[in-house]
Amino acid sequence: MEEKKPRALATQSAAKIPKFVRSNLSATLKAREEGKKVAYAFIMDGHDEIMRAMDIVPAWGESFSGLCAAKRDAEQYLQKAESENFSRSLCTYATCNLGFDILREEMGGETPPGAPWGGMGRPDMIIGSAQQLCDPRFKWPQATRHYLPDVPVFVGGMYYPPWDPQTDRREVEKFYVKYITEELRECVRFCEKVTGKKMDWDRLEAAVDLADRTWDLFDETYALRKARPTPMDTGDAMNTMVPITFNLGTQEAYDFYKELNAELREKVEKKEGVAEEEKYRLVWGAGLPSWFALGDFQYFNGKGAVFPAETTYHVAQPIDRLDLPNTSDPLEHIAWRLIRYYTHWYDKARQKPGSAPLVERIMEYVDDYKCDGVVFHSAFSCRSWHAGIILQAEVLRKVYGHIPILIMEGDIVDISSYNEADTHNRIDAFIETLEAYKNSRN
Amino acid sequence: MTQLNGNGLALADAYYSAYGSRARELKAEGRKVIGYLSALAPVEIMTAAGLVPLRLKGYPEEPITRADVHMETIVCPFVRNVFDAVLKGKYDFLDGMVLPHQCDSMDRTNDVWSYTLKLPYWHFLNVPHLSDGPSVEFMLSILRLFVGSLEKLTGNRVGNELIALAVKAHNENRRLMRRLYDLRKTNPPLISGEEMTKVQVGAMSLPVLESSSLIEAVIHEVVQRKPPHGNGGKRIMIVGDQVDTAAIAHTIEGAGAWLVMDDISIGAKLCRSEIDTTPDPLQGLAEHYLRHVNLPTTYVAAGKTYGENTDARFGHLKQDIHDFKVDGVVLLINKYCDPYGFEVPAIKAYIESAGASVLYLEYEYANSTLPRLETRIGAFLEMIS
Ligand code: SF4
Ligand code: SF4
Repeated sequence: MEEKKPRALATQSAAKIPKFVRSNLSATLKAREEGKKVAYAFIMDGHDEIMRAMDIVPAWGESFSGLCAAKRDAEQYLQKAESENFSRSLCTYATCNLGFDILREEMGGETPPGAPWGGMGRPDMIIGSAQQLCDPRFKWPQATRHYLPDVPVFVGGMYYPPWDPQTDRREVEKFYVKYITEELRECVRFCEKVTGKKMDWDRLEAAVDLADRTWDLFDETYALRKARPTPMDTGDAMNTMVPITFNLGTQEAYDFYKELNAELREKVEKKEGVAEEEKYRLVWGAGLPSWFALGDFQYFNGKGAVFPAETTYHVAQPIDRLDLPNTSDPLEHIAWRLIRYYTHWYDKARQKPGSAPLVERIMEYVDDYKCDGVVFHSAFSCRSWHAGIILQAEVLRKVYGHIPILIMEGDIVDISSYNEADTHNRIDAFIETLEAYKNSRN
Repeated sequence: MTQLNGNGLALADAYYSAYGSRARELKAEGRKVIGYLSALAPVEIMTAAGLVPLRLKGYPEEPITRADVHMETIVCPFVRNVFDAVLKGKYDFLDGMVLPHQCDSMDRTNDVWSYTLKLPYWHFLNVPHLSDGPSVEFMLSILRLFVGSLEKLTGNRVGNELIALAVKAHNENRRLMRRLYDLRKTNPPLISGEEMTKVQVGAMSLPVLESSSLIEAVIHEVVQRKPPHGNGGKRIMIVGDQVDTAAIAHTIEGAGAWLVMDDISIGAKLCRSEIDTTPDPLQGLAEHYLRHVNLPTTYVAAGKTYGENTDARFGHLKQDIHDFKVDGVVLLINKYCDPYGFEVPAIKAYIESAGASVLYLEYEYANSTLPRLETRIGAFLEMIS
């Protein structure tokens, strides 16, 4: 299939991301020669540092499916999965991967020809997580095992307290942390069994510390985007998220944000922006992007609209802000960090009846990044990020009156849901609304 | 309490047709009615608290007209349909709701429900998806929170004795339901699938003692029927989540088959096993809901090999296929349902290995789609004849 022209990138750092993705993929292919084990892994599952400390090579399914989508090469895998009775309505990150796995098994373990960047290595284990993030985190590993029955699977429990305006989160956080910590310990035991190696706890501690520092640096770097004109927008952030989501706990990830930080500072100094003339500043309110249509961010930019902030893949918060209790157990530290990542918004939301943490976060970005509107993307195959968007929009409208909001509909991987002309028409109409809104405020 | 007069099937039909009517009556008498979704809500605790628990059902015979304003169409159509029903006022007598964490469709719409409905009581029950030791421990804490929140609502203590009593009553209910299931083993079954759905739905709309009386009355009535003669109709089992409309059974039986067994969340999934009596009754409840309500939303890790693992997950189906002499299984899976959807190839292969044929249907929880399903079911029956 014809490859889409790459997006023009606003930062040099983002241009380095394909190298990251390639090297993550090739690590899974080279692992065997290097005597390492490969684990199918899922982002935001809290297992990053454990894998890094044990030299386990993570094979990131979501990343690979995103890549297939970006190269507009996912359809064959989606169809393969569909022919096995996986509904087209299921998470397409998962079904794309499953289709790839099924094909590879049918070919006796050989990578299906033409797989983007050489494909992903066959795993020695699968590490999923039963948690609130989404159902595919524990069903996808199980579904994969149907085709790779010899591959052991571990699924741990990883929950955070649900948002409830009536309850103080502090009443429940402790038993959530205890639970996550125990499940992480189970994960360590599982990894030890499959790799035949013992956990090096000092190494784990160092990886956790590095991850914390990366969180801080990431947040500090992204905050530079408050500048006007913004030196980087969401179009780039959908690339620069790779190190923090797929390489957390590695020096390379930390170094990447050091470089990005320096580059953004320079751009801010020189007042170099994303659009030729920055007319509208927008928050990418929620939703995974259509990986096959990242060029739409450029379309926005071409109209003078930029995205200085987004909730998607903003997967880190300043550690101080989370007020983490002291502990000498690195697993417990991971647990607290994971829980507080979600719950630290609750206090703010409780102060405003009718608000909700997800909306508080968007409002913080609207205010701090001086934005004029919010854009959401509703991907049909993922309920996790995309159910509840209408409500978020409703609450936002209540707080801000007529703030312009656009909800785009599509998918992450399945291009059949996408129509470029329609999408651009909707963006055009939204820009008009933005213009009218700005005029009415001036 | 409504008199049964030995006419169980007619009463089940009445409760099915005017769903929630009894709860509405009880509400008028001053009781508090709590709606809940899914087989994962520990109804025993609500009973113990003196509340009227009402499992909410959808109305697939009606198009969704109100829900889409607030809830995305990528949510499972069952959840959307129930939400629509609540918005339309079908459950306008509720004092509150319990939403267990069964799947993304419930978890991610928790805010949408609570924010939009603004009921006086709301509780999201964060049921984990695992059944290992730490998860049971965690579930215990989750249940304790739930008990605490109900105590706040009612102003009464919900002590262990009350919970133990409720567990006993609900176990008896399960036992009766299993006796009724046994009457489906004959050929043809003593009770049709359509009647059975109405009993299942009717029973879940009642407080437990009334529900048990209803089932008893149905059993009493059904055993008196003449042993039927087999007509060669194929024996079908249905597997899915909340199949709460008799129209599905009607479609299957209208095509000349018998619906003799199910593995659905208002049916066999609920009553296969009883809750163990434990010194702390919440312990028995935690173990039951995580380990014995066989939903694909609970990740089962059992078994050394993949074969052993699938036995642990689906072995009960093999048993049913044998005991109820099932010829074919209809896998009725809601669109946008990841937990059930990701399991289709595995469960299909497993059932086929047990000697039954499988028809997988993606369902949109709407009767308007039934003619299409009818054609597929007809072709399936022809194929297995
Ligand atoms: S979060 Fe959404 S897109 Fe990601 S794996 Fe889960 S269901 Fe799929
Ligand atoms: S059918 Fe699936 S998505 Fe719908 S409520 Fe049941 S488990 Fe959830």
